[in-house]
Amino acid sequence: MQLRTEASKGMALSAPASLYVGLLVAAPLGILVVYSFWTQSYVDINRTPTWANYQEAIDDPLVRFLMLRSIAIAGCVTIATVLLAYPIAYYIAFRTQKKTLWLLLITIPFWSSYLLRVFSWKLILGFNGVLNSALLSLGLISEPLTFLLYNEFAVVLTLAHAWAPFAILPIYVSLQKIDRSLLEAATDLGAGKIESFIRVTLPLTMPGIVAASLIIFIPTVGDYVTPSLVGGSDGKMIANLIQVQFGAANNWPLGATLSLIAMLSVGFVSIVFVLVMRGVGERIR
Amino acid sequence: MKHKTRTLLISAGIASLMCSAPAFAQGSDLTVFDWSGYEDKGFFGSYIEKHGSAPSYSFFGSVDEAFTKLRSGFSADLAHPCTDATKKWVAADLIKPIDASRLENWDKLLPEIKDIDGIMVDGEVYMVPFEWGNTGLIYRTDMITDDEISLQLLADPKYQGKIAVPDAGPSAYAMAALATGVKDYTNMTDEEFKNASDYLRSIHPNVRFYWTDAGQLDQAIASKEVVMGWGWNQSELNLIWNKTPAIMMKDVDKGIATWVCGYVHLKSSKQSDDQVYDMLNALTSKASGKYIIESWGYAHSNSEAFDAVDPELIKSYGFDKADEFFEGSLFFNAVDPKLEAKMLKEFERIKAGF
Repeated sequence: MQLRTEASKGMALSAPASLYVGLLVAAPLGILVVYSFWTQSYVDINRTPTWANYQEAIDDPLVRFLMLRSIAIAGCVTIATVLLAYPIAYYIAFRTQKKTLWLLLITIPFWSSYLLRVFSWKLILGFNGVLNSALLSLGLISEPLTFLLYNEFAVVLTLAHAWAPFAILPIYVSLQKIDRSLLEAATDLGAGKIESFIRVTLPLTMPGIVAASLIIFIPTVGDYVTPSLVGGSDGKMIANLIQVQFGAANNWPLGATLSLIAMLSVGFVSIVFVLVMRGVGERIR
Repeated sequence: MKHKTRTLLISAGIASLMCSAPAFAQGSDLTVFDWSGYEDKGFFGSYIEKHGSAPSYSFFGSVDEAFTKLRSGFSADLAHPCTDATKKWVAADLIKPIDASRLENWDKLLPEIKDIDGIMVDGEVYMVPFEWGNTGLIYRTDMITDDEISLQLLADPKYQGKIAVPDAGPSAYAMAALATGVKDYTNMTDEEFKNASDYLRSIHPNVRFYWTDAGQLDQAIASKEVVMGWGWNQSELNLIWNKTPAIMMKDVDKGIATWVCGYVHLKSSKQSDDQVYDMLNALTSKASGKYIIESWGYAHSNSEAFDAVDPELIKSYGFDKADEFFEGSLFFNAVDPKLEAKMLKEFERIKAGF
């Protein structure tokens, strides 16, 4: 009797949360899955379940190509962002007293819209943009550089800048949590600066690095705005193809299938990444 | 306590008011779903006179976006797609037929853009044409001569990274159809489709970007980032106003297309037909036509509007040669749905370099 009340109490307590998650996560995901098995015929939807969309997506080399490119771009963004973020987080955690000021400065770009930040990169990298004008007026180049914009490089640069705080903050938190006496102990035991970093600081901040990597990798694989604005034709990603299905092509079922394939690919890569990082963490310890 | 609750309720009310429907400006009961910019009061002066205020406007960025939004339940009274979309909108049961007898200006509308596919669908009028213009090859006259320019020039390796093409399958295929001499681009044979695709593939290495908004094209031509691009007459005008030496290739033998857009009556309309037809009459009136020609440089559907404008201006915008375009240009009609799907699919491949 007691147990039943306990159980029902628990159910009642978790009901709002379950309902919330169910409505906002499970239901849309369910709709996506159901849609992916339907087919589009002009303006109507044929509700006979079929694998046709999956067959089409898997057979299409374009889907594979764009998926791999998206993963490669997101991977580059992740590596670049984490590598650039680590020294900044390290500086804030260990080398300065004005932590709040620094953290505030880092979040300043976030006060403007993501779209505006993408556009500002367009202004900087553009044909007659800030960078080209500066180089031209310095006489370093005679023709504006065209390789700055409308390619994968521009996409990686823009995304790495936009997502930097998402890498800095988790790494900063994991650095901040490190017990300073451990570092003292390492020094007492004769470890140099580099050795104590590699054997104490880095392994202890591994969870922060993994968290930062996933926070950046997962959303950037599916980014749509940045590649469509600065990517040109060489920087298009899977999300652009998905957008075409939901827009011009008006083929929602195929779009749903592509979205699911993208989600599965991202999930797979993320799991592999976490397992690899765990192995690396154990090895260097 | 009571006072506090009331304050709380009021602030919650204000907050919910502020959060809901920010796109709707103050206006009369009529809601128009339109491209941004068309809320210009000069387009419907007589409606404001009669009803005291302008309709409310809600905006879309592309006809495809509008279609998706309407299909997911967005409601309005009038919408503003182009003729190539009408068939699809009728098939999706989004719009109702127009009663042409209630249109004051129906007989004054240019027959060449009134009697086309997309204004009429299955023998019934579904769209009231409002404005029209050309899509063509815009080029910098200081870098390419008038004799030199042609659609084939886009494939010249000399212009690597120096051209722009719209990021829209059907529009790109219309250009390819003109370049490869396809008779009817809405119904291409497999061979014609292959030739058009090959043409698009051949120009792909020269494409700097596939433009998504016209401003991107204007700026690129103005800064010499690209020297030619397939675009709308709006871009040509912007460049002329900006004093950039650039014009559109207007030779019908070399290839130019004509687009027509207009207003459709949505099935989700909640307002009285009287209001809807008042608005349609205002939009097609001579005064609105004069205004759009003079201030926007767009051609209007009302034939009388052209007589009301300074002939010099008409000439400078090229509208004096309208008949030539009507006869020789490609009209953006509804593409056969199967072919359109094929175009979109193939275009994605071409853009990715496949």
